[in-house]
Amino acid sequence: MTDNNLKIISANLDFYYNDFKALHNVDLKFTKQQVTALIGPSGCGKSTYLRCLNRMNDLIPGTRVDGEILMDGQDIYDPSVDVVLLRRRIGMVFQKPNPFPKTIFENIAYGMRVNGIKDKAFIESHVEKSLNQAALWEEVKDRLYESALGLSGGQQQRLCIARALAVEPEVLLMDEPCSALDPIATQKIEELIQGLKKEYTIIIVTHSMQQAARVSDVTAFFYMGKLIEVGDTDTIFTKPKLRQTEDYITGRFG
Amino acid sequence: MNRQFEKTAEMVLFLPALLSVILTLAIFVFMLVFGLPLMKGGRFFELITGSWSPGHGMYGIQPMIMGTMAIASLSVFFAFPLSMGCASLISVLAPRGFSTFLRHTVRLMTGVPTVIYGFVGIFLLVPIIRELFQNGSGFCILSASLMLALLISPTMILVFMESFDRVPKSYLDAADALGGTPVQKLVYVIIPQARQGIWMGVILSMGRSLGDTLIALMLAGNAIATPGSVLDSVRTLTAHIALVIASDYESLEFKSVFACGLILYGFNALIIVMLRYVESKGTQ
Repeated sequence: MTDNNLKIISANLDFYYNDFKALHNVDLKFTKQQVTALIGPSGCGKSTYLRCLNRMNDLIPGTRVDGEILMDGQDIYDPSVDVVLLRRRIGMVFQKPNPFPKTIFENIAYGMRVNGIKDKAFIESHVEKSLNQAALWEEVKDRLYESALGLSGGQQQRLCIARALAVEPEVLLMDEPCSALDPIATQKIEELIQGLKKEYTIIIVTHSMQQAARVSDVTAFFYMGKLIEVGDTDTIFTKPKLRQTEDYITGRFG
Repeated sequence: MNRQFEKTAEMVLFLPALLSVILTLAIFVFMLVFGLPLMKGGRFFELITGSWSPGHGMYGIQPMIMGTMAIASLSVFFAFPLSMGCASLISVLAPRGFSTFLRHTVRLMTGVPTVIYGFVGIFLLVPIIRELFQNGSGFCILSASLMLALLISPTMILVFMESFDRVPKSYLDAADALGGTPVQKLVYVIIPQARQGIWMGVILSMGRSLGDTLIALMLAGNAIATPGSVLDSVRTLTAHIALVIASDYESLEFKSVFACGLILYGFNALIIVMLRYVESKGTQ
């Protein structure tokens, strides 16, 4: 694997909420066109880590980052980096579907509008494209101008994925995207992730080890703010190197 | 025993509630009864549209209604952009330290006695208006509504701020994650979501300026004439009540204060109906 294939590298990453050190010295590499799953028990720091990658933690007062995160070789915490532009390159999908209380069309168009795109034809074609990418177009094409809140939970989550894709990011962060969904909706999202990894670098936080095993190429196990083990998903789930990882994966704790 | 306690508590709470309803109605009846001599024989319409000339037996309060409306609406007009800007700064745009400072300042402003505002108006604002426009004494609609705008904006800012802060965090997260700038977040997400609160703020402040007495009394000049421009001096309904009550007790002129009171009562009722309407729309 050459360095050219690496999209994001974090090195010696420490993260603090005021005096509390939530992440210890995390070294992790993310490869293009791969899905990396972050697993671990609640409070292990996996979501905190995910939010370091698009600097969403900046919005929380009293937080601090040490170490570095490189995206395409550039330190994203460098003072010269425009956070707003950074977040446009890194899409994010949240735990609970959070569409805006607007029409389906407007939800997708929003991202383009904040990017200053006014061309109506362009917006319309991209709305369709993004909804197609998120495997939602067929279900909503006749109700684009109805409220997004009328969709089912699974549809709302795919709408949020489409909304994130509409600004054409390079990386997609997903923070337990299926935790509020039923098994069928979850399956649809997982299929979607498989399709999306052809174009995007995907990083997914999940509570479900089955999900990590199903969708990811690489799995990273976090425990108490530390990265314990990272490796090919197959290896992690069949022959983990460390006892701690094995205990978690086999359900002995967590 | 427990039931007995519940019943007693209910009674204790019911009595003040009942009392406040009775008082509100009693005030209305009181004004109606005392205002009646001026309104007898279908003269109510004449009263609220006619002009004021006690020497000729004319007690129309139309100039005062116009004065009140002009000052109240103009002050809301001035206060609205100021309050929107300030609330946006506090809730979204300003850095934390400055935002906290502003928040405290606004809270402090709500506690400043009205008469201080009037005082400052007389010594600072009125001379400026006089110099700037070279037209009259400077005691006019403009001076009063500018100062009143300053008086009502803390309330408006607090209501706006609260409604901005109530916008669900999930929407803000989504906006941030999509690479919205703080201004875009404000314009595309927060303000549309806070529309109900913005209306409430405007209506509440309108009520506040309609009811305010002291600012207009001190700064509007109190001339009883229908205003033709913002530099004209006017008397508001509230200022009229305050002035007449201070001087006179027997005449028909005195009775006009009850008509003024009734009109104010009407304005107030209207404001409450509007608030209820906006509230009900928000909960649908």
